[in-house]
Amino acid sequence: MIRIEHVSKDLGEFKLDDATLHIDEGEYFIILGPTGAGKTILIETIAGIYRPDSGEVFLNGADVTNILPKDRQISMVYQDYMLFPHLTVAGNIGFGLRQKKVGRSETRAKVDEIADLLGVSHLLLRYPGTLSGGEKQRIAIARAVVTEPAVLLLDEPLSALDSRTTERLRAELARIHKLTGTTTIHVTHSFEEAFALGDRIAVMCGGRIIQVGTPDEVFRRPNSKFIADFVGVENLFRGRSVVHDDISEVRVDGILVVSSTVASGDVSVSIRPEDILISKREIETSARNSFSGEITEVKDMGGIIRVVVDVGVPFVVALTKRSYEDMELAPGTRVCIVFKASATHLF
Amino acid sequence: MLNSKFGILTVSIALLLTIFILSLVACILTHTSPHILLTSIASQEIGFAIKLSLLTSAISTLMCIAVSIPASYALARYNFFGKTLLSTILDLPLALPPLVAGVGLLLLFGTTSFGAWLSDFGLKFVFTPLGIIIAQFAVNISFMLRIMRSTFEGISPRYENVAQTLGCTPMQAFLQTTLPMSKNGLMAGGIITWSKGIGEFGAALMVAGATRMKTETLPISLYLNMSCGDLDLAMAAAVILIIISFVSLYIFERRGGVTRLY
Repeated sequence: MIRIEHVSKDLGEFKLDDATLHIDEGEYFIILGPTGAGKTILIETIAGIYRPDSGEVFLNGADVTNILPKDRQISMVYQDYMLFPHLTVAGNIGFGLRQKKVGRSETRAKVDEIADLLGVSHLLLRYPGTLSGGEKQRIAIARAVVTEPAVLLLDEPLSALDSRTTERLRAELARIHKLTGTTTIHVTHSFEEAFALGDRIAVMCGGRIIQVGTPDEVFRRPNSKFIADFVGVENLFRGRSVVHDDISEVRVDGILVVSSTVASGDVSVSIRPEDILISKREIETSARNSFSGEITEVKDMGGIIRVVVDVGVPFVVALTKRSYEDMELAPGTRVCIVFKASATHLF
Repeated sequence: MLNSKFGILTVSIALLLTIFILSLVACILTHTSPHILLTSIASQEIGFAIKLSLLTSAISTLMCIAVSIPASYALARYNFFGKTLLSTILDLPLALPPLVAGVGLLLLFGTTSFGAWLSDFGLKFVFTPLGIIIAQFAVNISFMLRIMRSTFEGISPRYENVAQTLGCTPMQAFLQTTLPMSKNGLMAGGIITWSKGIGEFGAALMVAGATRMKTETLPISLYLNMSCGDLDLAMAAAVILIIISFVSLYIFERRGGVTRLY
């Protein structure tokens, strides 16, 4: 669908260095990296805002490297919304349709429909200046998808919002993607967003793409110390959650994890390695999650030992060197791991 | 707030300065009477000067706007070789005495083959009202450029990026986003340029000369009538210039003084 071949672009402050990327039709693709990694240049180059210094961009097999943004059928949403302040909300959403000379009544119908989908119908006659961040971003998304683009580019769309709004809009993005099937490229520095939304993830640093893979591959098997440090979270799983009595039961591969975060449906689960207790015997405890398995890997991180326990899914457990030695643990040892429902974070 | 000697000192200086400026205006206004003023304004000569001033300044302001929009956009948005040098040269009229600019214009249009070529097309600048327009343009364009440049720099290029992805050519994107969003900067710049154009004297004097009823703008009229002792007409021209200054300052302040930035 989208192919980026050896694209380089130097803007002085930010740069893109020999980026190659293949993105499939209908994919929700995440570009993850710290600030200044070149993520925005990458998608602006895909949009055609910049002409690459070298390399090519292909869209559906056609070379679009030298084609103007308007002829690429790519829409873009920025972190800071970029709503046109001199136009009403309806004027903003209908902007792309007007450029494409869509008739008045059809424009109005499409604007109404998309505003309805994003829950901003009541704002259509207002000007953007007085709206909240969440409202603005919904309108920016509506403006981008109303033209039915082949590719939707989202540049940190949730970063400027408070956490409640972020969560709600994240679900909205997933819903819109499911509904429209539009190939989406979403730039973020948040691993939670990446893990929750991405079919695949590319991790960028210093203008280079350093790993591409499914969220599981990138988070479980980072191919460099940079990614391991940047991602920084182990025990990240996806599962399906069912809520009983304010407690979520999440089925993750073979096992059932209990969480006190209430969320149902497809969720991501994370447990910090230091919140997990390990022992060679069964532990009598009030903690709701208890599994047994075998130690498959031991990593010495200096004062802290990270032990990987396979209980059907691999859990990383952190413990001090002292208790590791006291317990006489080693690869192959059968152990029991325990963690509280309150230590299990769902998102 | 005002409890220290230092505070009282600074406020006193500000007050004295205000009194100084008010007294300048008051002296002019009291040097005439409403009756004399009205007859002078109704005179053919002042009527001509008002019309010529309004016309030349309006045209030169439109020229400044038309040229400064693309030129300041280039300076605000693009990086190119020699940009710093170019931008310094474009700022030069800010520091150059208008008389010197006027001499340059006189030489350019009066002595070069370029000037002769233009004059073959009927564009005669030397000692004509056209010369007044080009003098106002030359002196004021840098102000307009500066105001428009800072206006454009204050508007994120991402608005145009979004517009481009939504189906605009780069020019359409500019015309539909950045330009309408620059409305306040354009208004403020236009008003200042217009009011400076009306008051332009030095450069216009050099290129267009001071010919009664031909190149006689309000400042030229003030100068001519002061020189030959016709104080009534001179004061009438001065009073009109004061009114124009007040009005334009008022509009400029109403527009936010500097441009409101999105």
